[in-house]
Amino acid sequence: MQEFSPSTLLVLVPLLPLVGAILTVMLGRTLGAKAHLPAIAGIAAAAAVAVMLLAATARDVSPAHGPHAEAVRPVEMISTLWKWASFDAAYTPPEGSPATDARLTPRDLAASQDVRSFSIPVALRLDPLTATMLTIITCVGLLVAIYSTGYMHDDPGYPRFFALVAMFVFSMSMLVAASNFLLVYVFWEAVGACSYLLIGFWFTKPEAARAAKKAFLVNRVGDFGLAIAVFLLWMSYGTLDFHDTISPDGVIMPGILGQTRLADAAGYAGGAVGTAICLLLLLAACGKSAQLPLHVWLPDAMEGPTPASALIHAATMVTAGIYLITRSAPLFAACPGALTMVSIVGATTALVAALIGTVQNDLKRVLAYSTISQLGYMFASLGTGTLLGFTAAIFHLLTHACFKALLFLGAGSVMHAMGGVIDMRRFGGLRRVMPITAATFFVGAAALAGVAPFAGFFSKDEILAALHAKGWPAAHGDHHAMAVAGGPFHLAAFSTDATHATATAPAVGLDALDRPETWQILFWMSLVTAGLTAFYTFRAVFMTFTGPTRVPEGAHGHGGHDGHESYESPASMTWPLMILAVPSALVGWLLFSTNWLAHFLSATPSLTAPTVAATATPHVFHMDLAIQGTLAAAIGIVIAAIGHLGRRSDGPQLERFLGPLQTLFANKFYFDQIYSVFIVRPLEALALVAALFDRYVIDGTVDAIAGLPVALGGIVRRSQSGLLQRYALAGVMGVLAIVVLLAWQLRG
Amino acid sequence: MTSNMSSLQSFFLLAPEILLVTAALITFLGGAFTGLRSGWFVALVGIVAAMLVAGGQPADGAWIESGGIRIDAFSTYIRWTVLGLGAILALVQAGDLFRSAVTRGNSFGGGFHTGGTCEEAGTFLILLAGLSLTAVANDLVLLFIGLELVSIPTYILLALKRTDAHGQEASLKYFFLSLVASALFLYAAVCLYGIGGSTSLAIIGARLRSAGEPMPGMATVLLPVAIGMAMAGAAFRLAAVPMQFYAPDVYEGTSPSNAALLSTLPKVAGIVVLVRVLALAIMPTDAGDDAVGGAAMAHLSLFWPLAATLAAVTMTVGNVMALLQRNLRRLLACSSIAHAGYLLVGIATAAAAASARAGNGPAGADTSWTLGLGGLSATLFYLATYALATAGIFAAITYLGHRWPEWTAGSGPRPPREEIATVDDLDGLSSTNPVAAFAITLFLLSLAGIPPLPGFWGKLSLATSALEVDWNAAITLGSRRAWFVSLAVILVLNAAIAAAYYLRIIAAMYFRSNRRGVQADGGLTAGIAMLLCTALVLMVTVQPRGLFVSSSRAGNVIEKSRP
Repeated sequence: MQEFSPSTLLVLVPLLPLVGAILTVMLGRTLGAKAHLPAIAGIAAAAAVAVMLLAATARDVSPAHGPHAEAVRPVEMISTLWKWASFDAAYTPPEGSPATDARLTPRDLAASQDVRSFSIPVALRLDPLTATMLTIITCVGLLVAIYSTGYMHDDPGYPRFFALVAMFVFSMSMLVAASNFLLVYVFWEAVGACSYLLIGFWFTKPEAARAAKKAFLVNRVGDFGLAIAVFLLWMSYGTLDFHDTISPDGVIMPGILGQTRLADAAGYAGGAVGTAICLLLLLAACGKSAQLPLHVWLPDAMEGPTPASALIHAATMVTAGIYLITRSAPLFAACPGALTMVSIVGATTALVAALIGTVQNDLKRVLAYSTISQLGYMFASLGTGTLLGFTAAIFHLLTHACFKALLFLGAGSVMHAMGGVIDMRRFGGLRRVMPITAATFFVGAAALAGVAPFAGFFSKDEILAALHAKGWPAAHGDHHAMAVAGGPFHLAAFSTDATHATATAPAVGLDALDRPETWQILFWMSLVTAGLTAFYTFRAVFMTFTGPTRVPEGAHGHGGHDGHESYESPASMTWPLMILAVPSALVGWLLFSTNWLAHFLSATPSLTAPTVAATATPHVFHMDLAIQGTLAAAIGIVIAAIGHLGRRSDGPQLERFLGPLQTLFANKFYFDQIYSVFIVRPLEALALVAALFDRYVIDGTVDAIAGLPVALGGIVRRSQSGLLQRYALAGVMGVLAIVVLLAWQLRG
Repeated sequence: MTSNMSSLQSFFLLAPEILLVTAALITFLGGAFTGLRSGWFVALVGIVAAMLVAGGQPADGAWIESGGIRIDAFSTYIRWTVLGLGAILALVQAGDLFRSAVTRGNSFGGGFHTGGTCEEAGTFLILLAGLSLTAVANDLVLLFIGLELVSIPTYILLALKRTDAHGQEASLKYFFLSLVASALFLYAAVCLYGIGGSTSLAIIGARLRSAGEPMPGMATVLLPVAIGMAMAGAAFRLAAVPMQFYAPDVYEGTSPSNAALLSTLPKVAGIVVLVRVLALAIMPTDAGDDAVGGAAMAHLSLFWPLAATLAAVTMTVGNVMALLQRNLRRLLACSSIAHAGYLLVGIATAAAAASARAGNGPAGADTSWTLGLGGLSATLFYLATYALATAGIFAAITYLGHRWPEWTAGSGPRPPREEIATVDDLDGLSSTNPVAAFAITLFLLSLAGIPPLPGFWGKLSLATSALEVDWNAAITLGSRRAWFVSLAVILVLNAAIAAAYYLRIIAAMYFRSNRRGVQADGGLTAGIAMLLCTALVLMVTVQPRGLFVSSSRAGNVIEKSRP
């Protein structure tokens, strides 16, 4: 029936945008104003394929209820394109390393583990998580690309922009489809490179160049964490594959996230090594997803073109950290301390970023801090380590991708119309001149603020529920309480004691953080954040779209039909806004009421690990939490309305009542200054010393050594006289010398 | 699987060579009647046909022997390398030819010879047939005939392509020195005949291995002469010390397409000669026991220090000479000398490993890490990656052709066009011809051994195979292990020196502004050859396994003990 196998289709998702990117690069100058065609065609085709794959994967997941309901079993498909750099018998794990620990290398491997092969299989995988991510990436990518045809119109770098966007879609698809930690690392870097190039797209602007550099350098810190984590994974598990592989002699080599290891309760390293791996992965995720303390790059990244901000720095690339942790769920589940850290980092980031967001006057920066804050929400949810927490995080990722892309594109539409001005104090009352932008922006804002029944309300509610369940386990039924107290959740892989003994033993180190009190604090922090989110979101809406209509000088509209000028953006920009407004409004209710996404995701192999799957709870709507969340949002909106609704946006602001706190927030908690004093300046001093040392000591030595071959070459060159007789003579003399030496050696 | 077949069957075994010669005859005869480029078209068709009948690589250990011919994994590997390179070089040479055609009537110096194109194609085919013959030769006479079938067409091609003073000087130099090298190899052949009493390499090897200690009197005298002279004959073809002097002068004097030929095909012949002489002392795969006589032991223990020393000296000499070169072809000539040194590393390693296996010293090959390639396999792998990159660079230079002259309509008569000769001529190539600049960069980085390009895998395999020799032995002064550890260190140091001049070319292309640009008038086929090499290099980069497996099979047939 099917003409294409899923594995062919899977390859097409990254391949088509790549072809689009290459064609754009090659034909860019020829196509001129039509340079977007190859990129958009590639991404559109990839989006169609991704949706087909999503449907195909959904068919494989067993139904949640009905006559055919059964226990969730993992769904995955691996397509190995080729094996790169494969060596048989490459490596013998040292005695006593975790890789030789019989409990960590289950079953068949023990026999053949003396010598391991090394290879980097270029393998793509398809499972519910990947299918979901692919759909988000390609669909948002497509809308952003279409929008960009209007936004980037007349830009001299038009072809370059589309080539980069297509390149990004390729890299990001590979990142979420790769089935190997090394490939993940490669494309982790690749999306970082695309991000760098797009932030610095207008590289002649010093701020843009500086922001690009900052983003790149801060991300390096996280990438460093990922690299070390990959090394440790290789040392601990002897493989970097996610999936199981079967060697030619029939031995199953368990992959890190393969079903063999997932089925094994003791398959994952806990203890110091496991925690180190998880914390390093968390560091990597913090870099890419702009979490404390590596969040400083994201606001500056707004120097890039707005569509790129929407795609990369709001909807997709920054969610790579969420993806990585969800994918590594079983690793984290073995280390409760590291998991709790994920939540602590996330909730703190959410709160801090929301506070900073309340006093920003740059519309794009408000959205940037809101992105950081919402990503913090997702981290807080992931850190619960429960099935609900993981699925809620991805649910929020999905809704956030819709409404945040919508908000960014809306902000871009405003910026486009206002002649590049994005300071909210310089315009106001735009709803009269940009009706479509205003209406769609309002939908996005309502979704972000968590107003029922818009999308954000439901996903935020799920996250609060996940946190609440950890803080007040008794309130969520016996099943869950049991899982927390004595189930396999408290699994310490290096312990041979009964699980029960481990659970009751006093937790030490980081693991001591995993107690209800911690989660109760985190829950309240998240609830406060929800209120703050609603406040700054509607503050931005009121400042931009309500009050007396004002536009900055330099913005030029076109004749409107009812007397005053219209500033509405072209159709290529408003259509994506309207399309994105639909899921921003509806997708939350749809997915929540049917519980489709959560059930679908629970078939992801990583989430079928017993340690995660055992925490499954029945799908219920927590009315009390919904009321708390709605109340928080309502308070935020009301305060915003008191301060800004209908007022001039350049008037005195509500935030002046905050006093010294306002200074603190406006200066972003002085993170940049602290980093400058404690990290950047000392490093610069060190770099200066190193440069001097390099110039005078090392270079001196190297120059001396480098002079040696050159001097030698001078001598050798003298023998290169160009005279045939001398060449022949030298050759024959050489041969004679060889023969005499050999004869002498044979005698001696 | 062994068999002695009728002469009709051995006729079939030589089908690729026969096809090549047939194509050559068609070209020679047809040249009298047809136009400019048809000869090269026939040549390409002939090469592709030869590829089709050459057949796949036999699985481990399988071989066919008939008369003086032996076809096994090694000879198949060499044959495929030769034919593949032949196809690429034919494109390069045809491109050069096209340039000759368009420059006809332009007055400068002696200029290029414009006629005789079909003759060139035919001569080139004969050369390939000869080289392919050396791959399957299992007999001294056949081997020598093969080598001469390589040398003589080379003289003709050198002389035909370029008729100015430089070209004549280059071809004459090559001619005389090549004669000396052939004579030296003939001495080696005579001595080997003296040892074995037969021209069959199989019989000579068997005699050599069965000769016990003390050796027969004659062998004591003949063995060093045979090894030394054979090494000299091979060294000329490899452009290795002490027969390397000609390379810079000849490369500079001849056309880029001939330089492409000289830097690749004779190297294959040199490797084949060395492997054949080395293999005499290594037990063939089908022999039952491991007993090796004293004469073979002496052979091996003479062979490996010699090869190792020549390898170290050759790569160092080549690289330090290259550092000072500004002329592009002289620089690449020096680089090709250096690469001959790298190739010798694997040969020396194979000899030392064989010597270790034969019981002369502590047991080797018991390592905790390995890339799975023995010394010989590593050399064969390296040979392919080197030839691909070098042919690619020369194809690109051929394709780029000439610089734009500094000339405006009002400034007097148009000056003669200048060939791209120095590194400076490539300044700013990335902006005037980005595709060629990218391709050249790729080839240079591969030659420099930058991961993940093929050259890196090659150098890595060579270094690890050298480090594996006597893995468990202690490193003491003068021990075999100390020799090879030093050899690996010298290899790595040389790779670092080499990176300097390769990167200088890349820097010129990407970081300097161009003053005049290039004409890219070297002909479309040379451009196609360049792209073909690029594609192949990228293919080996993403999927090196195929070449790994095939070269390891080829090496294992000769180096027995690796399973």
